[in-house]
Amino acid sequence: MNRRFRLWLVAVGSAGLAALLVAACLELPDFGGAWHPYGDRAVRASLDRHTANTVASVNFDQRAFDTLGEMTILFAAVLGCVVLLRQTRDEHRARPEPADVEPPVRRYALIVLPVALLTGLYVIAHGQLSPGGGFQGGVVAATALHLLYLGADYRALERIRPVGLYEVGDAAAACAYLVLGLAGVLAGTAFLANTLLPYGTFNTLSSGGTVPLLNAAIGMEVACAVVVLLARFLDQAVEIEEESRA
Amino acid sequence: MNGWLLAAAVTLGGGLTATLWGVTTGPLGRRVVAQNLATAVACPGLLLLSQAYERPAYVDLALVLAVLGPVGTLVFARLLSDELTGHPPRAWWPTWTAAALGTAVVLALCAVTAPGRATVKLLVTGALLVGGNVVAGRALTGGIRGVRGG
Amino acid sequence: MADPVVVVALLLVAGSATLAVAVRDPVRQALVLSVLGVVLAVLFTVLQAPDVGLSQLAVGSAVTPLLLLLTVRKVRRRGQRKGRER
Repeated sequence: MNRRFRLWLVAVGSAGLAALLVAACLELPDFGGAWHPYGDRAVRASLDRHTANTVASVNFDQRAFDTLGEMTILFAAVLGCVVLLRQTRDEHRARPEPADVEPPVRRYALIVLPVALLTGLYVIAHGQLSPGGGFQGGVVAATALHLLYLGADYRALERIRPVGLYEVGDAAAACAYLVLGLAGVLAGTAFLANTLLPYGTFNTLSSGGTVPLLNAAIGMEVACAVVVLLARFLDQAVEIEEESRA
Repeated sequence: MNGWLLAAAVTLGGGLTATLWGVTTGPLGRRVVAQNLATAVACPGLLLLSQAYERPAYVDLALVLAVLGPVGTLVFARLLSDELTGHPPRAWWPTWTAAALGTAVVLALCAVTAPGRATVKLLVTGALLVGGNVVAGRALTGGIRGVRGG
Repeated sequence: MADPVVVVALLLVAGSATLAVAVRDPVRQALVLSVLGVVLAVLFTVLQAPDVGLSQLAVGSAVTPLLLLLTVRKVRRRGQRKGRER
């Protein structure tokens, strides 16, 4: 296969894709119009299952299998980072010196840390009711922990962040999602089918069947994954130094 | 188009255009101040949008921005402290103007919201926004220094 | 009814995205990128997609700048070390 043939192949493939995309876009409902065939069906299905936030219902009930795929992508990406950014044999760890942070900034970081953590948990817990959910809340909660690095110093962060535990938490949460899916199979319906639990009262924290549980599993997975990811980056940027080759 | 939507459009359009201009021109100190300003402008804008669309749940976006926006500015203050210590940015008037804007919007929304949990959420958002912006502004003007390796 | 706000948000996104590409230094690019994140969140909100907007805010406001700046710091330190050895 020479260079010219490969270019032709790419050109033909791209032209075909472009033609199909344009054809598909022409058939889309108008921007801002009142006709939403997919949206209407999704909203009806989510109301049937007492889930107030239709997006949560799509993510964790109607398309829960897609979310499993997304979770696996994040898991694999973090795993790749952990492998790539590990400490190699010709690198050593240097103790970082603490930063000189002014008291107001330090106080702000220490006050906002619990508030941000609580905001993250709130966003996760209310995922099936209002905008938000496991992914958003998990990222907020994981960011909150890193206020200790920003406002105090790296060693304070290291004390509350045993990376090993977070790695275990990441894997456990991913397993919890799978187990919840398999429970549906064991109960005689289908993988990730939302038939296990009662749907509850509309617009309360426990409504939506398995949606809050799957949401919580994703929240934990994302929070742990982001903590592990940032830990690897911080290790590389702050602690690990290359040995100078003599 | 109701008044709230108009106010949101003016706040977001004007404020974020100014922010964009600030963040792409001038020395590094000015750019980080403009980045801090983005939070201070967008958060009141999101609050106004939630009132305009009559969707109280949209306040969550402003809450998350009020929590994380200043954290983002602290990231820049912390990791760029070496570059910033030489020429600390001096920009108190934009910070205080933005703080006044945030306070005004939160108070206006509290006035039209029925007292209750929604009011508390608005006040918490406002406090986090104004406090966060002032502290982040301070962190930029030499609040964090002497980081070597850390 | 909401069209003017949508137009304002779209223009802001187009402007900030173009500027994020036009700025060449990675640190300054990270600053523009964080503003772009906020502007995108506003666009998602006016298009009535607050869930997506919230994801954008969560990831774009603190985690992305932190990852970028840590990477820049690591690369620069490595460059300084190489420079000293030479």
